Amino acid sequence: MSLLRTLKNGAVNAASSYKLILFIWCTTLVITLAVVYPLRTSFNMIFGNSMAVERLSNGFDIGIAGDIGKPLMALMASVSAGSLLLGTVGFFLMTFFAGGLFRRFTLAWGRLRVSDFLRASAGNFIPFLKIALLMMLIIGAYTFVLIGLPGILKMAISGSQMSSGKLMYLFYALWALGLPIWLFVADASRRWIAATGSKKTFRALGAGFRALKERFWLSYLTVLAIVLINAVSIVALFWFAASATPDKGIMVFLFFIATQSLFIIRLLMKAWRYAAVCEAIHQVKSI
Amino acid sequence: MRRFFFVFFCLLPFAAGGQVVVDKPLSARLTGYDIDVVLDPELHTLTGRMTAFWVNHSSAPVGEAMMHMYLNAFSSNKSTFASQGRWSAAGDDGWGWVKVNSVTDGIGNNLLDSLTYVSPDDGNINDRTVMRVGLPVAVESGDTLTLNIEFISKLPSPIVRTGYVDDYQFVAQWFPKFGVYETAGMRQRENDGWNCHQFHPNSEFYANHSVYNVSVTLPSDFVTGSGGMLIEEIDLGDGLKKVVWRAEDIVDFAFTAWPGYKVLTRKWNDVDIIFLTTESALKKADKQFEAVIYALEYLDERVGPYPWPHLTFVDPPLSGAGAGGMEYTTLFTSMGGGAVPSFLTMAESTTIHEFGHAYFMGILASNEFEEPWVDEGINSYWEQRIVDHYYGDGYGQLNLPFIKMSDADQGRLSYITSPGHNIATNDLPSWMYPHDTYYMMSYNKAATWLHTLEGLIGTKTMDNVFREYYRRWAFRHPSGKDFIAVVNDVVKNEHGDIFGENMNWFFDQVLYGSGICDYRLSGITSHKIRSYSGVVDGDSVTYIRSDRTSDTLYLSRVSIERLGEVKLPVEVLVRFDNGDEVRETWDGIAGYRDFEYTGPGKVVWAKIDPDDKIDMDVNRINNSYTLEPKHTASRRMMNKFVFLMQMMITIFTI
Repeated sequence: MSLLRTLKNGAVNAASSYKLILFIWCTTLVITLAVVYPLRTSFNMIFGNSMAVERLSNGFDIGIAGDIGKPLMALMASVSAGSLLLGTVGFFLMTFFAGGLFRRFTLAWGRLRVSDFLRASAGNFIPFLKIALLMMLIIGAYTFVLIGLPGILKMAISGSQMSSGKLMYLFYALWALGLPIWLFVADASRRWIAATGSKKTFRALGAGFRALKERFWLSYLTVLAIVLINAVSIVALFWFAASATPDKGIMVFLFFIATQSLFIIRLLMKAWRYAAVCEAIHQVKSI
Repeated sequence: MRRFFFVFFCLLPFAAGGQVVVDKPLSARLTGYDIDVVLDPELHTLTGRMTAFWVNHSSAPVGEAMMHMYLNAFSSNKSTFASQGRWSAAGDDGWGWVKVNSVTDGIGNNLLDSLTYVSPDDGNINDRTVMRVGLPVAVESGDTLTLNIEFISKLPSPIVRTGYVDDYQFVAQWFPKFGVYETAGMRQRENDGWNCHQFHPNSEFYANHSVYNVSVTLPSDFVTGSGGMLIEEIDLGDGLKKVVWRAEDIVDFAFTAWPGYKVLTRKWNDVDIIFLTTESALKKADKQFEAVIYALEYLDERVGPYPWPHLTFVDPPLSGAGAGGMEYTTLFTSMGGGAVPSFLTMAESTTIHEFGHAYFMGILASNEFEEPWVDEGINSYWEQRIVDHYYGDGYGQLNLPFIKMSDADQGRLSYITSPGHNIATNDLPSWMYPHDTYYMMSYNKAATWLHTLEGLIGTKTMDNVFREYYRRWAFRHPSGKDFIAVVNDVVKNEHGDIFGENMNWFFDQVLYGSGICDYRLSGITSHKIRSYSGVVDGDSVTYIRSDRTSDTLYLSRVSIERLGEVKLPVEVLVRFDNGDEVRETWDGIAGYRDFEYTGPGKVVWAKIDPDDKIDMDVNRINNSYTLEPKHTASRRMMNKFVFLMQMMITIFTI
């Protein structure tokens, strides 16, 4: 029951922060468009008055890419550089906003104004950044040990072309089942910083591990459930976005609205995890 | 009579087997090999003896024999193969070579001292891939030369088509093998002579259709496969076995041995298909069989029958990947079956391509050294047709909802995006292509202009060209010019003179020329035809037209330019705003052409080559022009890109 209550309360808390979520969405949209819009302009310039663009109506036909000639390389370089830039800026931005969201979810009651949200985001940014980098390092090492190493060993032993087979599926499953532990520790550490106002990263990580230990199954299952729902929804969102081929102007606009709505849902689901972890720790402390 | 008995006894080993594989000889069988060797999988050597024969089918005596000694390409880093391909042995044990310990002719003359190495292509004194056998007595016209050779072959590592890695052995180009003795007139040759080229990194092979009786002794735990039909497998005790194969009318004999192979079999019509694969690639086996059967069906129907009752193909393990993607007629190697994601048909297209070589240089045994386009180009063309026919609704390489690529486009891209696509002609010997253009030119440019030829003459005529090519040249040695002669005859027969006296104008440009093809639709204009007004003899004159809009006339102009050197007839589709369409044809010879129309409708768009027949056009974006450009597709793509980037940001931050 406490698991369901945790999930429910987390969802309610996340949903009640919709203004903050919309603010985050707005920010990501602006920075993404800042990169993508010039690319679109270049793309339209390349095709000009050509009808060859019709070959893109059912998905990107690589066959037409070669026809672009030399501008293709420039376009691809711009796409790569733009993606890298967006990825980097996006990482810092989401880490920044996580500071505000955790502050919101550690409040006993009431709402957070956007100015307070930004203030909390700024205040928590450096320790949150350190935690994010450390946890990514830990998750990277965990991935290497559980998937990379067995894969390499299997390939070396069997001489096969890839690390597939039943044994590897077992390792994939183990990896997926272990991932919520690290996510919980990351979230619990950040919650500790948001709640205490301390900037001490390693103490925060210690607090994260302690929180996990105190009521392992509730903590673990809470994150596992949300991660599973997130994973399924991400696959569904990508599938929708990839397979939709609106071909009329209004339909393309509606497609834009739909994808952005789905992205807002994705942000809400991420906020749900933060809120649920805070709720789980709150429950532990109230026992 | 004495000569008759001499020939009879020489041929006895080959004749003794009779017709084992096919009902009657498919080829002239001018050469044959009876080989008995022991494979040592630890030393990676093959030691044994061979009796080989060659029939002098020319009208004059021949005083020498030329033999390929392919494995010597791996004997030093100074060989032509190693120096051109920057190949080097993996340690001291990695060098490969073939050594003749003794050689006698059919009557016992010792020919060992007559052996010399020659380098007809580049004069490289360190290259020992072509061996000349001096004969004490010339072989008379119609006589048979028999050579009894004791030899030892050492496989190289790393594998480049042939070789070993650990206990994996792929044994190809491994025994002394006759070159092809060409008579005057054959492949437009002026004089009789041996055609026996050195081994280059990009050159492949040229050989007579032969009969092979091959016995290999090896450890019992090795699983084997070859281009021959398995006659028997004898348990010799002591952990050894002898495998005996016979192959008929194929141009090369290769085999593989590895304890790790999994063997699967299928049957298609009367053909037994054997697949040697790895544990990890087993899940792809059905798809690999399916690909082979697709290729068999397609080529059998459109080119000619597959004449052998057996076919073996191999998906090597990762360690032996260097053996992948090769063809030995009734044995071929695919690649990547276990490693490639299922939405990519890379493994299937490799399988189809390599099987296709059973036709293009297997049955139609062209000279791959001198005219690589005749087999690689033609075979790539057929591979692309088959892959795009059976897979992905025309997008044979990749057909996902958001990204697509046809196999033909994959080849075309390689050609049109190559910076060197116009630096050389397409008829060069394989080792003469400059600036690493061999693959692009001999595979992809040739396939691209073959698609263009199909676009011009039609698919039905193209299929008939290949049926006729098969009919005339199966189990012989056609040249590029022989293929062109077939094209000329079939096109003339089916289309009369609509393409001119012959199709040489096409081949002169695409095969023997280096120009590019690029047509551009440079613009569309439409002007209302104004009322007649002006001054005549000092008096102003005005002709008042009716006010009815339906009477308004427009003068529209569609302007087309030829930017490349290649001149091909093109079609132009013109669309008016009242829905009318006009299809024009232009011979494409002049530098430009304007089409003008007077009528009630304005031109809204026009397309050159509306049916995408001219694959050679290096820029199809400039083939069309519309006054109402639609950016829906680009908007949608950018929407997806925005969403993708947003999602990535949230996924990769914890």
